[in-house]
Amino acid sequence: MSITLDQLTKRYQGVPVVNDVSLEIGDGEFFVLLGPSGSGKSTLLRAIAGLCGLDHGRIALHGRDVTHVSARRRGVGLVFQNYALFRHMTVAENIEFALRVRRARAAERRRRRQELLRLVALEGMDDRLPAQLSGGQQQRVAVARALAHKPEVLLLDEPFGALDAKIREGLRRTIREVQRELRITTILVTHDQEEAFAMADRIGVMNLGRLLETGRPTDLYTRPATRFVATFLGAANLLLARQTPDGIFCGDGQITARGASPGAAGREREVVAVVRPEEIEIARSREGLSSGYLGQATVAEVLCTGPIERVRVRLEAGPDTPLLAQPDRDGGTSLEATRAQFEQRALELASGDRVALGIRRVHLLPTPLSSFTICAKGEPAAAALARNPLLADLSSRMKTRIRTRLEPRLGDYAIDAASTASFLGTTVVGAGARVADEASWLLAHGAEEILVLPESAGVPHRVLIHWAGDAARRPTLAVSASVLRQIAAEAVYVDVMAQQSAAGERPLGIRSLLDARSEARTAHGLELRTELRYGEAAGELAQRLEQSPAQMLIIGLSHPQQLSARFGSLLASPRWPVLIVHRLQESSAQSRSAA
Amino acid sequence: MSDTHPTVLPGFGLTLGFTTFFLSAMVLLPLAALVWLTASTPVAHILQVVASPRALASYRLSFGGALLAAGVNLVFGFIIAWTLVRYEFPGRGLVDALIDMPFALPTAVSGIALTTVFSQSGWLGHYLELAGVKVAYTWIGVILAMTLMGMPFAVRTMQPALNEVQRELEDAAETLGAGRWYVFRRVIVPTVLPALLTGFTLAFARALAEYGSVIFISGNLPLKTEITPLLIVIHLEEFDYRGAAALGFVMLAVSFSILLTLNLLQAWGRRRLVLRTS
Repeated sequence: MSITLDQLTKRYQGVPVVNDVSLEIGDGEFFVLLGPSGSGKSTLLRAIAGLCGLDHGRIALHGRDVTHVSARRRGVGLVFQNYALFRHMTVAENIEFALRVRRARAAERRRRRQELLRLVALEGMDDRLPAQLSGGQQQRVAVARALAHKPEVLLLDEPFGALDAKIREGLRRTIREVQRELRITTILVTHDQEEAFAMADRIGVMNLGRLLETGRPTDLYTRPATRFVATFLGAANLLLARQTPDGIFCGDGQITARGASPGAAGREREVVAVVRPEEIEIARSREGLSSGYLGQATVAEVLCTGPIERVRVRLEAGPDTPLLAQPDRDGGTSLEATRAQFEQRALELASGDRVALGIRRVHLLPTPLSSFTICAKGEPAAAALARNPLLADLSSRMKTRIRTRLEPRLGDYAIDAASTASFLGTTVVGAGARVADEASWLLAHGAEEILVLPESAGVPHRVLIHWAGDAARRPTLAVSASVLRQIAAEAVYVDVMAQQSAAGERPLGIRSLLDARSEARTAHGLELRTELRYGEAAGELAQRLEQSPAQMLIIGLSHPQQLSARFGSLLASPRWPVLIVHRLQESSAQSRSAA
Repeated sequence: MSDTHPTVLPGFGLTLGFTTFFLSAMVLLPLAALVWLTASTPVAHILQVVASPRALASYRLSFGGALLAAGVNLVFGFIIAWTLVRYEFPGRGLVDALIDMPFALPTAVSGIALTTVFSQSGWLGHYLELAGVKVAYTWIGVILAMTLMGMPFAVRTMQPALNEVQRELEDAAETLGAGRWYVFRRVIVPTVLPALLTGFTLAFARALAEYGSVIFISGNLPLKTEITPLLIVIHLEEFDYRGAAALGFVMLAVSFSILLTLNLLQAWGRRRLVLRTS
């Protein structure tokens, strides 16, 4: 491996900007770090270059641990968005800078300089000053300069940001050619997904300091594992679908989906479906569709963008209308579709036309968090919950909707399972005095994730994760990973062992920590910190939560009874958000391997 | 810019007219009068005043002191400007405002303040006296006053230039293997060299022209701590206008040639941006 990053963390004023990032990049690989601005990708690059210190973690280049090696001895080449050429030096002096620092002989310097100038196609420009060159030429000089000392690794920080489209294209090609010729391991940082697709062998998508997913461009596009990657790489319509033993249903019809095996769940569940705009089929009527029927719609807008046409369609409201994960501002549901030339010729569209929509392909996200349902006894309590800042933040980041369901009998001891429909998605309740009873009641009515929110709970800095019994590990980790992708908090798995445990059991505790960590990493790409505590679970967790504000707790149950028996004391008017997870049986669709 | 290209301000003809008028009325005409007054003085009288031992000693103090003060300001002004540009620390705004104080104070006030602190019985002067260093009423005091007055000029010209040195330049140099001292010498200094020269020039000019504060701290001992501007005033008080004009002419000629040299150096440096050292 050329570059190995192990749990890198960098904080600014306590907030992690790079959060537990682990990554391995192979020899000669062109790796692109993609993410919106402020996602921590540039900080990560600077950390690899040795220009900013780390709070945690290790960096190895070609097997050499360089965590504490200064930038000047790391042997990396770095290229900046604004070129950062030495303006008082000629092109030749700029390129020879690294060689001059190393006191190379003049003849050798000249030979290397000419080699590099040929490589970046700037022969004969030796005596120009940077001010006499165009932006594209300056960036070529910067690339040549960064390569002069034969670095092991080339790092490019938004190198095309300051260039216009045509020049960008040419420079991209040059950099890719140079990289192939030298077979130098390269990391490029960008926020431009088109650039990432054009250049990368492999892409890593970052958001909120976390490395969410890595993979080949096509894999990430067709089979994203997270909402963020699905919507950040290209356009995506997110729909809420129902996964039942008979298949996957979206609105009226059954749809064919990749990344899911229907029926394995054994019960109905809500899932998030990604529909790319090019996978939506538009026809005059349902009979004209060659793919699975989604619903009737009205064309709202038609935009021609040259080779393709972008169409915005509004689904007609009805009881079986498929729900868009995120509703429009006026509560309606509109989807984006794109059509190739041949489709445009077959059916001309204008806004106002009534059409039938079909879906050719969907991809189901493996995330267990689909949508939120606020459950309260009365209107005022539900309205208060709807204003909760953490819930608002989570739902907007997840691009999902919040529904409200009033249950006057919430928490009543007499449980009548038949009288109410099952709870789908994540159920949200307020952290009142009787919340333990209410949560038990919800579990009995089929709720699988329950979020208990104290009034004015904010976004946490740390999420504590705990589960009771091995059966709960998988679902709890899956839910935790989904939550932690949305908030920039650190994840800590707390295992609690009984006080009187014999000395021989200690390795067992450590074993469980290691298992949790490796499963979190391999199945969900989530880096976990781990803690082993001794004593009674609820008490130890409460103690840990007291230590600092802005924490959140995720508890996994392997049996509903555990809630009041083990964690009852934690739920007596909690001051922190608690997410309770209880899934009887995990369908294979929920694990990433099936995707 | 010709007047065929419209700009917000009035056209080229008008602005050049104003420029010429103001320069003539405020700078050239008085200077011409000085030259004319000197030219119409008998040569023997000029030489007697201009080449007297007392005058020669004052030139040495004025020009030598001003160069030394500008040199001190070049180094320490750079450090102050660097600190203000690069570091965030509590009270930075206050320090930034303090830099301008010498601009705003009447120079006599600065002189009195310096004398109070550095005289034998002053707060600092007392201890310096014990260490065997006399500041007030010696040439050291003169340079001290000149340095104080020139400091804001040096800092304020270097600050914007240092502000523009992208931190990325240092980062780039560092990843290319350069150490701190190498980066400072080969990257930072050459990049801001024109601003350094300008700062030096302005500090020098200000120190040379300084009068009010220097005469308080220097003690004005003829042949020892007497600056040329004071000698001119003495001649004026004796109603020897022609002698004063002759001394003024010498100051004018020397400072003009020094400033011209510095300006040419700057223009050359700006074109090339660096003295190629290797």
